[in-house]
Amino acid sequence: MDIRTRDYNSVIIFDIDGEIRRSDMTNATLHQLVKTQLEHGKRDILLNFEKVEFVDSFGVGEILASYISTNNLGGKLKLVRISKRLYLIFQVTGLIRVLDIYEDEAAALESFGKP
Amino acid sequence: MNDARLYRLLRKVADVRSDEVRSALFLFFQFFLITFTFYIIKAVKESFVISVNPAWWPYADLITAVLIGFVIAFNARLLARLPRRAYASSTLIFFASNLLFFWFVFWLNTRRTFIISSLLPLAQRSWVPFVFIFSFWSDIFIAMSVTQFWIGVNDFFNPHQAKRIIGFLVTGGLLGGIGGSLLTSRLVHLINPVNLILVCPAILLGMLVLVNSLHKEREKTRAGPEADQARAATGIGYLESFRTVRGNRYLRILAGVLASAMVIGQLVKYQFNFMVKAQGWDKSTQTSFIATFFLAILVLSTIFHLATTGQVLKKFGIRLALLIAPSVLLLGSLAVFLIPASGLLVWACLLRGSDRAFDTTISQSVRELLYIPVPADIKYKAKIFIDMFVNKFGAGLGAALYFLAYHVLSFAMYQQPGTSISVPIRYLGILVVGFTLIWIILVWIIYAEYLSVMKKDLTRKWQDAHKLIDEHMDVDRARLIVDTIQSREKSSTLYVMNLFQLVKREKLTPELMEILDFKENEMKARSLDALLDVGGEAFFRGVEETLSDKDFEVQVREIMGLDSFKLVMGKRFAEITGKKTASEVERMEAARLIGQMEPSTDVFHSLESLLRDPSPDVLDYALGSAAVHLRKEYVPLILPLLGNPMNRQAAQDVLEAYGPRIEDVLRKHLQDAGERLEVRQAIPEVLARFGTQRAADVLTGELGRGEEELEQELIDALYKIRSNQPKVRFKPAKIRAAILSLIKKNYEALLAEGDSRPPGGDGSVSGPNMKAVLDLRTKRIFDLLALIHPPEDIVKAYQNILQGSKKSVDYSLELLDNILDRDLKTYLSPFIEDLPPDERIRRLKKLARGLGIVSP
Repeated sequence: MDIRTRDYNSVIIFDIDGEIRRSDMTNATLHQLVKTQLEHGKRDILLNFEKVEFVDSFGVGEILASYISTNNLGGKLKLVRISKRLYLIFQVTGLIRVLDIYEDEAAALESFGKP
Repeated sequence: MNDARLYRLLRKVADVRSDEVRSALFLFFQFFLITFTFYIIKAVKESFVISVNPAWWPYADLITAVLIGFVIAFNARLLARLPRRAYASSTLIFFASNLLFFWFVFWLNTRRTFIISSLLPLAQRSWVPFVFIFSFWSDIFIAMSVTQFWIGVNDFFNPHQAKRIIGFLVTGGLLGGIGGSLLTSRLVHLINPVNLILVCPAILLGMLVLVNSLHKEREKTRAGPEADQARAATGIGYLESFRTVRGNRYLRILAGVLASAMVIGQLVKYQFNFMVKAQGWDKSTQTSFIATFFLAILVLSTIFHLATTGQVLKKFGIRLALLIAPSVLLLGSLAVFLIPASGLLVWACLLRGSDRAFDTTISQSVRELLYIPVPADIKYKAKIFIDMFVNKFGAGLGAALYFLAYHVLSFAMYQQPGTSISVPIRYLGILVVGFTLIWIILVWIIYAEYLSVMKKDLTRKWQDAHKLIDEHMDVDRARLIVDTIQSREKSSTLYVMNLFQLVKREKLTPELMEILDFKENEMKARSLDALLDVGGEAFFRGVEETLSDKDFEVQVREIMGLDSFKLVMGKRFAEITGKKTASEVERMEAARLIGQMEPSTDVFHSLESLLRDPSPDVLDYALGSAAVHLRKEYVPLILPLLGNPMNRQAAQDVLEAYGPRIEDVLRKHLQDAGERLEVRQAIPEVLARFGTQRAADVLTGELGRGEEELEQELIDALYKIRSNQPKVRFKPAKIRAAILSLIKKNYEALLAEGDSRPPGGDGSVSGPNMKAVLDLRTKRIFDLLALIHPPEDIVKAYQNILQGSKKSVDYSLELLDNILDRDLKTYLSPFIEDLPPDERIRRLKKLARGLGIVSP
């Protein structure tokens, strides 16, 4: 998994590439990267899954942990371009009602009020 | 006398209907004349046979046993070829002319002079052979006449009618026998036994007129297809008749019962003959004694028959009625070893009297009833063989046994002066005891077969609905499918959640996929998630593949086990249940999700809150989740939902999932008069699903409290337990009391209806509501009957009564007659039998007091 970070009008966009799974864990997990941004005072986080091929339960845990951390600090964590499979997982688990998920990046950025 | 008067008159002595009067009277008199004639012939014949050497006695019976088969074959051809009326007339004329011939031969034997003097020595030499021929002829006469009579009965009456009327007809036979015997005993001293034979042709000519009238009546009323079928069947003949019996286990046993009885009858007759011959009377005195003996036993038989036959059949059923004769004969035969020689004539009279009395009354009636479950065509074929051959075979076997005993044990020496007559009598007694035991064993077997054949004969038109549903319909699956289809309209998330449940439970069949499948355009129209659009492909197929992936299921489970997930969802549930602004769909999704989640305080609290939700849809999902977690704290929240028609079934499902551990809670709410009636009414179904003995006892106890509002639910629940849990036992006394209580209600309703109708009305049930109430209550009665009797029999009987033809109704009533106890039979019959309205009311009034109904 490779994660690159972009900043767009104070919205930190994480472009994730590859698979988010326990076995492919890199030096810094998604949650750690998000926490780092939160520690830097960033409160709006957008996770871009356009190039994510697979997310396992560990990956979902990373997303949720990131969501909780962001939320606890009054920030917002949103997701964009998730796969059909992940969408189904979020539906089945009810997370679809918890997480903000968007089809495209522009709509997501707009939802932060920072188009 | 017109038919109405005849009916009123006859109704006092017999259980007949107005349309049966003429046929019943004709057959009554036919049987009267047959037995009248026969008892004249019988006394003369027996006296003649006794007068010959005891060593020759069995020859008379052996001739019959050997030759009767040919007569049967001939008789079968006659029956096949001739119309019934022509057959009856020609045989009567034949028998009358034969009697004239016999009279002439015997008369010649008594003469010292005759015009043709060369005939005299010939007649004197042929006395013994002619006695045997006369004996054989009399057997043919009675066998053919009686068979004709019973065929007439079968032509005119269906089995249930026959059972009612048979007692009346047998009384005719008994009275005929009494008349014939009385005439013989008085007249024989005046005109001697030979001249007595001349009375018979005159009677037979009278019978010829009667039989013609009877057949005219039959042609007028009901020459139905069954009668034609029967006539056609008789054309097959003796061999086919024999094959019919040989190929049918029931008929073989029936033949065995009759043969055993005949062997015993024959041996008892020889014992009697020994004692009569030992008295050394002349022919007239001997004939008079025999006729008086027959008179005595027929009078006693008539009294016994009138007083007990019908009652025994009604109260104790066929099995006991079948066992009476062999049991009494067994005890009587054992008594021969205790009685001194001086008392043997009385003992022989009593034993033979018992045999004859039973044979002409209860055994006769029951034997005919045993033919009831046999199909009409087989019955006619078998009856010819059994009545005319098996009977005589039994008698022949008895004769052969006597023959062997006579020669092997040297009976002749015991006739010498100074030798006790009791020795041959006791040897024969041992044989009687042995055959009586065989008879009793065969009675046990035939009774079991009787019920079995009766059951097979009834067409099963209805199946136990509860069982059908349980076996062929997965209620849980059906509910999930309905939930899934409905949720498609509300939320794609809820829909996917439901689909996932279907996949998890392996209930997503290809057929169901077709039902649930829909295209992208429909998706768009419903503003569902565009993310799942797949370019014209069926929406569902892609989802189904993913949901069916085992890895997917594992992943979902792992996610739900994450602390972060629990934390997030806990907060989410708190928001949904805590704020009034949460939409119904959100609450439904939450309620559905809780059922998939691991137990936690957040989950439990949220579910408790959702179980109080005002939306039935939310409650439905909450109940589904409660069925997963099954916490006792939910039970008080679930019970009130039983009163809500929208959630009742789901609530019952959850309570069922709790299992018998909540029986006491349910019992308390069931018995609590302060509880909502709807809630109480829904509880029996849950108890029924537990299907435990305790649940059955609780339901039975509640039924005993007689709350009409709960009656249907309690009975349905008990019936369900009966269907699903054959090992559970129901307290017969309580069920019986409940049945009688329902019967009483029907009586009160019908009698009130009868009292309120205008004079001269037809007495039928007036309003559709009244009929519906009565029908419903009758259904409940039968449901309860099924708890304490074989349910399949009760169901068959009930359904045939409701929907079957007249014949099947009669079969059903016959089946019930053999299953139910006396009181239930008696009280049930007036409103299940096909009775004229006035007759029904009359019977209801007669029986009402027994049910504690006080006449207004």
